[in-house]
Amino acid sequence: MSDNLQPRGSDDAAFAQPLYTPIKRRSFFMYAGATAGATALVLAGCSKDNDNNPVSNGISLGSGDVGVLNYAYALEQLEAAFYAQVVKTPASDFQTGELAYFTQVAAHEAIHRDFFKAAINRDAPGKILQDLTPNFTSIDFTKRASVLGAAKTFEDLGVAAYNGAGILLKNAAYLVIAGQIVSVEARHAAYVRDLLTPGSFADDNQVDANGLDKQMMPTDVITAAQGFITQKLDASSVGK
Amino acid sequence: MKLISLLDHLAATPASSAAAPRRDVLAQLGRAAAAALPLALGTLPAAAATNDTPLDALLQLLQLERLQAALYTQGLAATGLIPAGQTADFQRLLAHQNQHVAFLTRTLQDAGSAAPTAPTFDFSGRRNVASNPELFPAVFSNYDNFLALAQQIEDLGVRLYQYQAFNINSDTRLTQAVLRMQSVEAQHSAHVRSLRRGRGATVGTWPSDEDATIVRPAAQALTTAATGGEANVVQFASASTQVPFSTFFLIRDNTAIHDPALAEAFDEPITSAVGQAALNLFS
Repeated sequence: MSDNLQPRGSDDAAFAQPLYTPIKRRSFFMYAGATAGATALVLAGCSKDNDNNPVSNGISLGSGDVGVLNYAYALEQLEAAFYAQVVKTPASDFQTGELAYFTQVAAHEAIHRDFFKAAINRDAPGKILQDLTPNFTSIDFTKRASVLGAAKTFEDLGVAAYNGAGILLKNAAYLVIAGQIVSVEARHAAYVRDLLTPGSFADDNQVDANGLDKQMMPTDVITAAQGFITQKLDASSVGK
Repeated sequence: MKLISLLDHLAATPASSAAAPRRDVLAQLGRAAAAALPLALGTLPAAAATNDTPLDALLQLLQLERLQAALYTQGLAATGLIPAGQTADFQRLLAHQNQHVAFLTRTLQDAGSAAPTAPTFDFSGRRNVASNPELFPAVFSNYDNFLALAQQIEDLGVRLYQYQAFNINSDTRLTQAVLRMQSVEAQHSAHVRSLRRGRGATVGTWPSDEDATIVRPAAQALTTAATGGEANVVQFASASTQVPFSTFFLIRDNTAIHDPALAEAFDEPITSAVGQAALNLFS
């Protein structure tokens, strides 16, 4: 319908550059207060730092298909870390079966995370996004309501993210595998919505008048997710 | 599929303003997908190729959505079938399916193609011939039977959309719409599965080997289309190399993930042929 959905036609100059510059563009001050591991990464990056972009918008997820894969990898890292914490410190007021459910979902998300890690390392060696450090301080893992609310946020966001990013992929194989994953995320979303409010699966907040599930573009998704991630991420080149 | 006549029709149809946004579809609708299926489709033979055109894909998805809409229309009309507390759930399912029917019909029309006449769906499996054997007994008088059929048809839908997304990926707008319809189908499936679980069925929110089998020996085509191959734990890294999930998946406390989770984490596409075999049971 509108041309801005087209993945192609971005600045050709972008293609002349390396697809992905994970670390070397980082400004050293970005990592003030980061973990020791992240500091080691940036030090390694600094030795190669010869860029002329002193103003950083955060860690670039990269461009083209590998950018989309890193974008998915970032979201799956976030989800996997969230559910791992849910399982590790279960809410005291979980109802029967809920911990078992979250244990299964934790496995799915860890599998998705590791799938993308494998796919990126296979198809774009050296361009994988670093391990992210989650920031879950806004979530009270001891309270069922807080956990379910966060799970709903993550699952709804994940579904919208995949639905928006599919058209950015140029490789149809990635499109198919993204489809195979988003439907599982949608199942998670429906379930946790029904746990929070029975019958709120696929409600009008998520599905529009054409029967289409919500979609969001990468920069909007990362803006929404940024509060849960210690590192600042830049999704502006994803799919371009 | 009546591809040639559609192309003739397209050539003869003046581009109206309404059709203008569909130019990209016009250009692509009748063109066969040239590429082989991606190797990521682990359930399919690695050498499988698709001859499905975007038109084929849209027509098949329309048939699927019409089938789903008919199931819920008839289910909601059947006195005493759906408990009062769950009527709203099925009204929502029906609304979405009707919206999908409208969307697909409009897309076909914008591309200069008329949607075919809807078949008369027969959910007994007799295919509108009374002497044929009944494959799905008491669908509209036994709620558990109704739910089981709904679950299978929703799962079939998810998997068919996943396959057809590949066949229409030359058009970004359609691709996105198909993805967005697919995730709605997946939410439907998850909810129907929860309803069944609430009534004592052994069934998860996602297809799993741990689900109790829905036994219908004479309707194997539907079972195959709904969940056949869902136990797949293999995703291909290349033509001959599998992603070694079992060796690198370690989650909390370094506990290796059990195989059902590997299979559950990915829904699996079905080919249009597998999907059509199931759709053909109902008309």
